Amino acid sequence: MNNTFNINRFGKILKHDGLNFFPNFILALAILWAIPVVIYLFTALMPTDGTTHIYDAMARVNIIDFLLKIAIIIAPAILYKTCNDSRKGIGYAMLPASTLEKFLSMVIFCVIVTPIIYMAGALAIDSILALINGPYDGFALSMYFDKYAQIDYSIANHDVANLLDDTWPLFINSLSPTFMTILSLLGTLMLSSIFMFGNMIFKKRKTGKMIGILILLLIIIMIIFVNYVANNEAITEYLKQLDEDNITEFIERIIFIWMNAALYTEIIVSALMLFGVYRKIKTQKY
Amino acid sequence: MIKINNLDFAYKNTQVFKNISLEFQKGNIYGLLGENGVGKTTLLKLICGLQKPVHGSVTVDGITPSMREPQFLQNVYFLPEEVITEDTTPEKFIQKIGVFYPRYDFALFNQLMKELEVDLSKKFNELSHGQKKKALLACAMSLQTDYLFLDEPTNGLDIPSKALFRKVISQYCSDETTVIISTHQVKDVENLIDPIVILDKDDVLMNASFAEITDKIYFEYSPERLQDAYYTEMLPGGYINVMPNTEHLESNVNIEALFNAVMKNKETIKNLMK
Repeated sequence: MNNTFNINRFGKILKHDGLNFFPNFILALAILWAIPVVIYLFTALMPTDGTTHIYDAMARVNIIDFLLKIAIIIAPAILYKTCNDSRKGIGYAMLPASTLEKFLSMVIFCVIVTPIIYMAGALAIDSILALINGPYDGFALSMYFDKYAQIDYSIANHDVANLLDDTWPLFINSLSPTFMTILSLLGTLMLSSIFMFGNMIFKKRKTGKMIGILILLLIIIMIIFVNYVANNEAITEYLKQLDEDNITEFIERIIFIWMNAALYTEIIVSALMLFGVYRKIKTQKY
Repeated sequence: MIKINNLDFAYKNTQVFKNISLEFQKGNIYGLLGENGVGKTTLLKLICGLQKPVHGSVTVDGITPSMREPQFLQNVYFLPEEVITEDTTPEKFIQKIGVFYPRYDFALFNQLMKELEVDLSKKFNELSHGQKKKALLACAMSLQTDYLFLDEPTNGLDIPSKALFRKVISQYCSDETTVIISTHQVKDVENLIDPIVILDKDDVLMNASFAEITDKIYFEYSPERLQDAYYTEMLPGGYINVMPNTEHLESNVNIEALFNAVMKNKETIKNLMK
């Protein structure tokens, strides 16, 4: 018997987790789906002074994107809430599937199924509301998968080699819509993996604790960064010399560094968090 | 076979087991007895792989449980003391988990639910505590695993249900199944368990079959208290005396009296049964 991975067993654990998906998650999904409807009603019913309130499609895409992130953040703690509980988690731990199979199923439901189900519902509701003669302008659906093409990446026209020092290890050489889509997808993976890990290490108030830790980490990083920049003579000298001619180049340089750093961070953090989740599934004591 | 060798286990600073060795042979219904807090549940969790030994080893048919490999997990089922159920019917629950177990039998589940007098149509949360326990027992037994671990299974059961519990365990467990029943309510499992394992803090005081016990210990019912008894207890109409069986007389094990005798003469009986 293959104790690491077996496709039949994997199918069974997928089915098992799938049967838990809707009963556990439908209420949270319904609330997230309802938020744009509430905004729609609020916009439609708002008194006007003769002018028409137009609720732009791109603005709705941003709201749907924000709510998608909420869905991703809360999914692990709702779908796999009890899996590390010393009493309630015994059933999950004793299920005859390998750690890899349980891990992959968890990843599939938190990283792939949750966004797909949420997006399908949210875009369908948006399309229905857009069909009604109301305050909606255009369809979020038509714009969502093409949203990065809507932004003018003027920076993409520059020669990156001239823009950055050779020492910067670049993964990308332009902020193309493709790159931005990859960055966004990796961001989703990182967000999900962070909260999956939080779900495995905390027993109670899992999402809240993880958000608290992230805020704390962000503050610490900001303090370190600001301190570093303020105390680094080379940087301060460089900043002093900035004038209107080279400020654009500086900002472009910062954006490229930032985007590269974001890409590396997303890959490294996702990998570390997912490894942590796998280890916790394997070694969790009950 | 379950083999435990030189096992050390502790929860943070609380030592539970210190260098214990123990074997559970296949095809028996073991009674795991001990006072509250001696580590009966912990031992079951170690055998199931829900905990990992600090030192020493636990193996089940040569497999290390804490690896939590599917090959091991599909052959064991652990029914915890605390009733934890999902918001579904027992039928849907067993259909969801049963597919993972190669010998799972849905017809057997239905039969057990009928015998245990549990309403099939109700959800877990609509059942009483005792009914939930019986439904979970039916689920556990219908999986037909090689090893079945029951932690305080009779807690919360009424008297007829306790009798039903004994009946289904003795009737539906195959000769190949090893059942370990952890309990401190020894009367509930009388006439069901054999052998008996008695745990003490850090130690195993006894692991013996009824034949081995009665070979060395004699249970005598007499009108008076006997002086050289390990333990004596007044019963209606006389006394039960737990004595050394120096003359190789035959007797029936009284589990409660045996347990109390062992607790009062730990080292003596431990050495006697070696």
